[in-house]
Amino acid sequence: MNPKLKKSLLYWALLSPLIVLILFPFAVMFITAIKPANEVLSPTWWPREAAWRNFIDMWAVTNFGTALWNSIYVSVLSTVLALAVSIPAAYAMSRFRFRGQGFFRQFLLVTQMLSPIVLVIGLFRLVVWLGLLDNVNSIVFVYGAFNVAFTVWMLQSYFSTIPKDLEEAAWIEGASPAKALVMVFLPLALPAMTVTAIFSFINAWNEFVIALTMLRRQESYTLPIQIFSLVAGRYTVEWHHVMAATFVATIPVAVIFAWLQRYLVRGLAIGAVK
Amino acid sequence: MIRSPLTNPYLLILPGFLLAAFIILWPLYQLGTISLNDVNRFGQLRGFNGVENYVAVFTDPDFLGALWRTFIWTGGIVFGTLIVSVPVAMILNEDFYGRSLARVIVMLPWAVSLTMTAIVWRWALNGESGMLNSGLQNIGLIDQNIQWLARASTAFPVQIMIGILVTIPFTTTIFLGGLSSIPDDLYEAAKLEGASRWQTFREITLPLMKPFLNISIVLNMIYVFNSFPIIWATTQGGPANSTDILVTYLYKLGFRFGKLGEASALSVMMFALLLVFTILYVALAMRRERT
Repeated sequence: MNPKLKKSLLYWALLSPLIVLILFPFAVMFITAIKPANEVLSPTWWPREAAWRNFIDMWAVTNFGTALWNSIYVSVLSTVLALAVSIPAAYAMSRFRFRGQGFFRQFLLVTQMLSPIVLVIGLFRLVVWLGLLDNVNSIVFVYGAFNVAFTVWMLQSYFSTIPKDLEEAAWIEGASPAKALVMVFLPLALPAMTVTAIFSFINAWNEFVIALTMLRRQESYTLPIQIFSLVAGRYTVEWHHVMAATFVATIPVAVIFAWLQRYLVRGLAIGAVK
Repeated sequence: MIRSPLTNPYLLILPGFLLAAFIILWPLYQLGTISLNDVNRFGQLRGFNGVENYVAVFTDPDFLGALWRTFIWTGGIVFGTLIVSVPVAMILNEDFYGRSLARVIVMLPWAVSLTMTAIVWRWALNGESGMLNSGLQNIGLIDQNIQWLARASTAFPVQIMIGILVTIPFTTTIFLGGLSSIPDDLYEAAKLEGASRWQTFREITLPLMKPFLNISIVLNMIYVFNSFPIIWATTQGGPANSTDILVTYLYKLGFRFGKLGEASALSVMMFALLLVFTILYVALAMRRERT
């Protein structure tokens, strides 16, 4: 046996307990989602036949469409809001040295550290005061604002890797700052903005406690709250529908995340550790 | 330089600053005010009452229980994650067959929302029909169903285990970044000098990884301390508040028991604690920057 193969087998063996624990919930989710209704409560692993219909039935039973639409609405608009204010801020942070820059950086760090849960009562009053309780727009506003720190952080670390010389060259050629920005800088920054936008979207997509607090009627529920409401405080839970809904709500986002994860790592690493 | 609104950094950061400041400072001001007032369950203030709300929080036995569990919760998850993530990162840093697949699997929990993960575990841990019990019985580890979530003595350790699983990806990522920053020639030199694997680990890897270990510990402390969905979606702090940590207890105080004054006082104290953690983080990060 060649040494690399031997090493590989050893490493996989060492990792296997962790891998089993990680994959276990995914297996539970998928297998339950395809179990026929009469087999869900019997503690067997494999269903006798796969009930793909669960995915279709789930859609109506769990009010999936409305929640899906709410989640998309909230995630897209909060991302747009966060990026609209973060792109100029990140540009300023990466291009200029100015008094108060250190303060702004620390301020962003503190906002990033504060989870909304600590402020949730104050946020609730804020939303009531704005008359936005039970309105998905309240969530858009809160998510957008809480995402500013993360998006500025990520964008700034990417913007700093785009050489300043290019814009300066454009200025010397007689382009106005606005023109240099649009023609030279923005095209180069587009990939960074896309990646940051996707992570901001995923953050909003997965958020729980703010949505749980501000949304009280089913018509305004986002996906995590809708699925949670099918489980919490009920005597009978239709687990096969719940797991089918969880599967559909989770897997597309998980695939995108797994695919883009290295960009997050790079952005965080440039920003946080350096 | 040409003058234009686009070259004025203050104008550029202003919208972001205002939005982020407003969402923090307005609620914080509200919390401060409520915490110093007598307040009814609908949020109407009925006059200044000093630190009475703070005293009420500290004399509540449920608070002390939740505080103690928050220590165990945060310490257990941060320490457990550290113990698992160091060897995992070292393995994933080596070259072996299927490494990219192994990396994707280890990172998977990061990609799923905590709420969904917790809901799936809640079902997997179900006493009668849960697949964990049937799986453990199939391989002969237990011969009777365990009611995992019915008692704190089993529920809380399982919640900590879930917490560790979902914290590993982020931590491993930071460590992988750290490991890749260690130059290979150091290891080669150590090998030439005849150092054992353990010596190489202790004398080279560990000291050079220290800044990354520190930063991951502080960041994880903050994230885990704030973590709400795992406990809320599995047990909601039950049975009888026996798995509550500060964040879930705070939520109950405010939105179930209607004790807004006490909840605000608790929020203000937690905010102060988080600020201390953050300052610690900044100090660590700055020390790294200087060296």
